Amino acid sequence: MKRIERFFEFTRRHFEKGGKLEKLWPFYESIESVFFAPARVSQVAPNVRDSLDVKRYMMLVIVALLPHYAFGVYNVGYQSHLASGLGTDFWPVIWTGLKSVVPIVVVVYIFGFAWETLFASVRKHELSEGVLVTCALLPLTLPPTIPLWQAAAGISFGIVIGKEIFGGTGRNFLNPALTGRAFLYFAYPVQNSGDAVWTVLTGAKSAPVDAFTGATPLSIAAVTERFGDVHASLADAGYGVSKLFFGLYPGSIGGTATFLSIVGAAFLMILGIANYRIIFGCVIGLLSTAFLLNLLATESSMPYLSMNPMHHLMSGGAMFAFAYMATDPVSAAHMQVSRWIFGFGIGTLTILIRVFNPAFPEGVGLAVLFMNLFAPLLDHIEIKIKLRRRVPNV
Amino acid sequence: MKTIRVKKGYNLKIVGSPSHLLKKAEKPTYVALQPEHIPFVKPRLKVAKGDRVALGSPLIEDKRNTDIQFLSPGGGRVADIRFGPRRVIQEIVIQLDETEKKIDFERYSQNDIDKMNREQLVRVLVAGGLWPLIKELPFRDYARLDFLPPALFVRLGSLEPFHPAPKVYLPGNEQLFRFGLSVLNKLAEGRVFVCRHEADTESTSLLDGLINLTYTGNYPAHDPGVLLYRMKSSPQENCSWFVDGQDVVLIAHMLRNGAYPTERIVTLGGAGARQPKHFIARMGAPLSAIAADQAENESWRYIQGGILSGYGARPQSYLGFSETALNLLPEGNRKGELLGLFSPGYRKTTFSRAFLSKLNHQELEMSCNMNGSERACIACGYCTLVCPVDILPQFTYKAILAGEVEESLEHGLLDCVECALCSYVCPSKIELFETIKNAKAAFYKEKEQVRR
Repeated sequence: MKRIERFFEFTRRHFEKGGKLEKLWPFYESIESVFFAPARVSQVAPNVRDSLDVKRYMMLVIVALLPHYAFGVYNVGYQSHLASGLGTDFWPVIWTGLKSVVPIVVVVYIFGFAWETLFASVRKHELSEGVLVTCALLPLTLPPTIPLWQAAAGISFGIVIGKEIFGGTGRNFLNPALTGRAFLYFAYPVQNSGDAVWTVLTGAKSAPVDAFTGATPLSIAAVTERFGDVHASLADAGYGVSKLFFGLYPGSIGGTATFLSIVGAAFLMILGIANYRIIFGCVIGLLSTAFLLNLLATESSMPYLSMNPMHHLMSGGAMFAFAYMATDPVSAAHMQVSRWIFGFGIGTLTILIRVFNPAFPEGVGLAVLFMNLFAPLLDHIEIKIKLRRRVPNV
Repeated sequence: MKTIRVKKGYNLKIVGSPSHLLKKAEKPTYVALQPEHIPFVKPRLKVAKGDRVALGSPLIEDKRNTDIQFLSPGGGRVADIRFGPRRVIQEIVIQLDETEKKIDFERYSQNDIDKMNREQLVRVLVAGGLWPLIKELPFRDYARLDFLPPALFVRLGSLEPFHPAPKVYLPGNEQLFRFGLSVLNKLAEGRVFVCRHEADTESTSLLDGLINLTYTGNYPAHDPGVLLYRMKSSPQENCSWFVDGQDVVLIAHMLRNGAYPTERIVTLGGAGARQPKHFIARMGAPLSAIAADQAENESWRYIQGGILSGYGARPQSYLGFSETALNLLPEGNRKGELLGLFSPGYRKTTFSRAFLSKLNHQELEMSCNMNGSERACIACGYCTLVCPVDILPQFTYKAILAGEVEESLEHGLLDCVECALCSYVCPSKIELFETIKNAKAAFYKEKEQVRR
């Protein structure tokens, strides 16, 4: 404890005004204030302030994401060993997983912090903690095979175009992590979509072993032949309910774990960090739209229409995006009723994109971005209605 | 009887609640008037350093309305007049004589009051120097002399930590209170609401039949602004008046005894007070006379007024004109503990649910530390959850900063009851309250200029 304190006292002067590294002050400050809260006191009323600050707020999101990383590392290694025909002992699997996941995370954090520090030092304010969450979210949505330079390009786009050019955290209207993900999806489709990118091949293999297809549940559902049964073809490919629920199949690094997403969502809702209106709105929107499509489905229509709503909820990254992406308070709707509508819209659009747009097997990311655009409008309408009820005071 | 249930707001769980013991503070050698902290008043000095003054002789008048004078809280010699930056009058300090001279005002009986008409009564109150205790919503300046208020609220007690409790200042003063209330009834032509919290049963038994409005809920449900917001049905009601319960007694004392009151009941509270309790204190007494027994080995902030809406004062300064509370809180200007960010926070007070303290029902210690650094608004929405008058501070403050006066008014800027909860809960540590309060005051000043 004393040693850490002394370390900060020793290094501090280099970053303070007049020091050699003066320009890096925001970066230094952000690190120091994680270890020791600053000694600032209130200057104006109220004299006392709540214990919650943005740092704690964002840290709790990261805490909720840690299990996803643990799962992601295991799943990447596990799928890799399956595809490469290796044994699935625990430690070798973890080792393989770490080898693919850690470099991506490190690169994303380095580039994310670099951009954030640059903008913070030019604007002369402190580093915002939003970047920690953005950098934690983006890798979980990426395929484990992504080239590292693309991960760097993705986080750069997400932070700079998704956030900083609008004025930084708090002024962005799109979710920065998803902006980066969408950029990669459209700019480098070969490395970021399709069936082949979700599994890392190890042991000098260039093609997976015969038994392994690598197809994700959503792509299977999308290509099920007419007059076929979606659930049967999913079951044929080994996608039972429990597999979908726990997420142990090829996919983005941590996004497939529906079970963990529900746990994380509950954790964040109980602590009041994620708004329950958004999450429940999303789930209700998704289930009801999928159910509606079930009603529309006939013998001769697309089999995808008849996919069970619960299957929709459990496959792919739907629950992950609902829990962590849609609930980003800045880019989501800010008013209570708007939050319900915002969430409902995400759920609905997710299903519509999945089912009717064969180009995008997973639609939830785009649905969130799309509703981000509508959030200010929803807020505006709700505020106008609310203000009309006030007794004027001028 | 009407009951108003206030759902929003928030009660701080904070240590240092004053006991109901009442102690008489020693007679000080100096008392002072602090024009700096009387809102909106533009003071003009009526005395000079070295002048002799009597209890109740005018010290300053308000340049906006020279009828309004602030009287000397003691008899003696003007020992000092302190000026701050830009010649603002901070303090007029009076050295008290052994036997103080005092101005004799006329005495009035209940009968006299009943016979007087409203204008005469206003003139008597103005001459007695206690008119400024009657405040007008929404700006909380003293009430306009030529205006008949749509309603007048008498506030018994406060939910803010920590203010004098009615059960301490009412016993023994019931008759005066009744008398004062008849004066107020005349001023508001009968539209007077005497308000108490539902849990405050003592007031009901002391003031049999006088209480006609009950409220429930968290801080600041006691505030007349909140009650008015919940009751009003037309814009005409916005300019209601309000008086603090204890001030009713002071006004009655002045009219009945013909003397400017010298004492009021004040609380000493907060973690810094070794024995938090009520004091009978001289008006304008030095803070050190009240906080004589404060705890040591910590730097304390002397807060005049409540912990949320009060202001930090120098320990050498004096009790403000209408202040009834002194709270001592640790300044807290030290670094947090190692990785305190990740602690479960069983002892960290919060409005949110992000700490375990949500399960802790004990009163907790709080300091004046900011508990974080300033960030951009992340739209968490806590301020909108806590605002008792349904302002949307996160949107309103943006409208204010963008210079959209009309829009901020539409948002209910003037309904703000200045409870400061929005700034309290903000995790981005944005000074929402300061922004809103300043915008409101600026609007008022502009409006006044236009009126003149």
